[in-house]
Amino acid sequence: MMKTEDGMGLELRGLKKILGGRVIIDDLDLSVSKGEMVSLLGPSGCGKTTTLRMIAGFLAVDSGQILVAGKDVTALGPDKRPSAMVFQNYALWPHMTAAKNVGFPLKIKGLSKIEIKEKVEAALELVNLLHHKDSRPGQISGGEQQRVALARALVQEPDILLLDEPLSNLDAKLREKVREDIRELQRRLGITTVIVTHDQEEALSISDRVAVMNSGRIEQFSSPQDLYRQPQTEYVATFIGSLNRFEGDLQNGQILGGTDVIGIRPEDLTISREPMEGSHSGIVELVIPRGHFFEVVVRRKDGIFRAFASENIPTFGEHVHVKIKKALRYQNGKLVA
Amino acid sequence: MRTFLSPTRLLLNFAVLLMAFFILGPILWLAAHAFVSGWQYPNLYPSGFTLSWWSKVFVDSALKTAIKNSLILSPLVVLLSMVICLPAAYAAGRMNYWGRKIFMIGIFSANSFPKIGLFAAIATLYYTLNLMGTFVGVMIIQLLGTIIYMTWIPAAAFAAVPRNLEEAARDAGASKFRVFRTITLRLAMPGILVAIVMSFLASFDEAQGSYLVGAPSIYTMPTEMYSLVQNYPIQVAAVFSILLALPSVLLLGLARKHIMGGQLADGFQLK
Amino acid sequence: MKGARLSILGLTLSLPPLILVLVFVGLPIVIGFTFSLGFTKGPNRIISIIGQQIHVKDHWWGTFAAYSDVFHDSRFLGDLGLTLFVTLLSTILVILMGLAISIYQRLIRSKQASILVTLAIVPLFVPVVISAWAIHTFYGGDGFLRSFFSQFGINFPTLTSTSSAIVIGSVWTSLPFAILMISSGMQGIPDALIDAAKDCGAPIIRIVSHILIPLAKTPIIIAASFTAIGILGSFTIPLFLGPNQPTMLGVEISNFFGSYNRPQQSLVMAFIVFMAASGIAILYVWSNVKSAKESGRI
Repeated sequence: MMKTEDGMGLELRGLKKILGGRVIIDDLDLSVSKGEMVSLLGPSGCGKTTTLRMIAGFLAVDSGQILVAGKDVTALGPDKRPSAMVFQNYALWPHMTAAKNVGFPLKIKGLSKIEIKEKVEAALELVNLLHHKDSRPGQISGGEQQRVALARALVQEPDILLLDEPLSNLDAKLREKVREDIRELQRRLGITTVIVTHDQEEALSISDRVAVMNSGRIEQFSSPQDLYRQPQTEYVATFIGSLNRFEGDLQNGQILGGTDVIGIRPEDLTISREPMEGSHSGIVELVIPRGHFFEVVVRRKDGIFRAFASENIPTFGEHVHVKIKKALRYQNGKLVA
Repeated sequence: MRTFLSPTRLLLNFAVLLMAFFILGPILWLAAHAFVSGWQYPNLYPSGFTLSWWSKVFVDSALKTAIKNSLILSPLVVLLSMVICLPAAYAAGRMNYWGRKIFMIGIFSANSFPKIGLFAAIATLYYTLNLMGTFVGVMIIQLLGTIIYMTWIPAAAFAAVPRNLEEAARDAGASKFRVFRTITLRLAMPGILVAIVMSFLASFDEAQGSYLVGAPSIYTMPTEMYSLVQNYPIQVAAVFSILLALPSVLLLGLARKHIMGGQLADGFQLK
Repeated sequence: MKGARLSILGLTLSLPPLILVLVFVGLPIVIGFTFSLGFTKGPNRIISIIGQQIHVKDHWWGTFAAYSDVFHDSRFLGDLGLTLFVTLLSTILVILMGLAISIYQRLIRSKQASILVTLAIVPLFVPVVISAWAIHTFYGGDGFLRSFFSQFGINFPTLTSTSSAIVIGSVWTSLPFAILMISSGMQGIPDALIDAAKDCGAPIIRIVSHILIPLAKTPIIIAASFTAIGILGSFTIPLFLGPNQPTMLGVEISNFFGSYNRPQQSLVMAFIVFMAASGIAILYVWSNVKSAKESGRI
């Protein structure tokens, strides 16, 4: 992974935004290394789009600083910033062909017609759309429009690429493919990228690091693995993946009364037909096929467990024993080791 | 940011003032005349205030008849226009039948013939049909001016009703007619309302044709204005103008939201 | 017309307004056209008896004598010039004002913008007769402008009975429709399309010229063609505000029909105006069809 040795791609320092009297973004810091791909992940209203729009320059910051490739761009408008954005609905101009759309930023820069033609064709080639260069946005599919939008952003050779929910308008099958294409292209060009998404699978699979946002703050900023295995806050633990959550204390595998919060990932539970040391007994209530594994819901006397199992799958109504292998403990919402 | 903007802001406020002066100046100037005894160049202020011109209008039987005629004619014309045009508008908005576009363009091109020329041409037909100087004759003339509004705007409004809302209602067990009444008509209502307002104004304000066909036996308020401005003091015309503008202003309040909201503009995009 | 089918119901429902238009617009125009060509029998009999300087056809297809009358009338040529000049100038002014206000409203949501739009809509609700008369008194000899400037010792010209007054009146009455069309078109442009251009580094001028105006092209053309057609055939505004000679063709058509009792020449002029209006109407239909094609509706 590329870390600080290549320098900073993007740095946000103490960013704050108030809209309509409400604090949308509060004292937000974020450092993205050069060439890194980072996701801003969170539910709608968490401030991720606001943050992206501030990076792009569409929203002025109320306080704080934005540095792109080491340069302070806080006071610049979107037209003067070295960032390029791919919009959620692609925002292709319907009256221009694909080539005209991609060529527009170059035309603004005042490049010659020949230069524009060369660069536009190279950019369209990059996204495998050269054959559609004379098509209008209305004549090509959603996935192709997305690639035109990407080409329009890349042709500007920006220091940083911003993607606003780039996959949300594509169907499930296409989404995976486009996701991989974007990732591959990003690696190849080594371009610093920030992507906004509400889809955790998307964020975890595409990014070097993910920033989970909640009510205008970053709850945790770390690699996808750490985010799942070591969620630093209770919010992140419940937001990412599924979690068995209890209030109380855990001692020798047994749940006792208490004020802490205990979180157990479903794969950290072992199901067996035989009782084990410190195991809980219960009845299988639901068995849900999840592809290559099964989710098993077990009801015990004071609650339920959700566990994953890939072999020796119990059946509905069967009496089973569940053992806790690993648990996360939170005090006041924060992880305690 | 503020200080940087302030010359721009100043310029803008000036533009707003200029626009207000350009648009409202003439109306207010004329309206003020309804309450003054005299107002001569180069005095910026009138010689005195009076309400006596108002009684002049209400006493004059010719003017009273004109008011009565207008108030009877226009609602009738709008009603007739709705009966004639709304089914066609529904068809044009919802059915993709052969000839639909020709119909819409035909209605439009009928509107692009210069009105005064059309009225001159219509005279021939009116002589033959004995419609000259009749109530029906004036009604037809005014009706012609409403057709484009009563077909185009509701057609766009009907077309804009989402089909799935109707299907959902059908699915919920509503009969076809009930769906039309409670969903389609209900959702197209703002457009129809705008069409009604525009038609009423078109009929109520129509002057050239009504004058050519109606005068001298039938006068409406606008046609009366033609002779009024020549034969009466300006103050009487001012009083009459206020009366004539009243229904329009009332309708403004009623439909402003929808007209500004794009119902009118949507109505004139050929789809 | 993709997927259009023959529908008896659809056709039947469209019949009533169609018949009305055919009988009271189409038929008079056709009869009027034959009359202008010198067909004086049949439905044209009465008007041929009443009217003066009627030309009777001398070929099977009629005669161009009435047309020749009109085109050799220096008064008509003056009228035509004035009509075209007023129409062109007023339309340009209306569209420029409409564009300026709508673009401003689209780019900056401010109180001033909505006041400007609301003001511009006001004339829609004022009957033309009143508008014309109000403008007449405002810019006239006893009008506000002259009285106001006289306070400072300036002798402001009387604008009524000049072509300037017709332009003022035409702009005044045409503004609402143009603003409604153009501003609705501009409002319909998604923010993202403007943001995307900003992101590409486009200054405001480029956004206006390359994004906003092209995207609102259809409503702009509709506004321009409606405005031009309306002004071309206008009557009340030039009657109240214009000079006696030359005047706009709308007034002259009425004069020839009524005061001069020369219905045939009057109709000839009507057809000339109609030809000009048709040209503009074709532009409108073409623009509509083109935009439908581009958005993939046809």
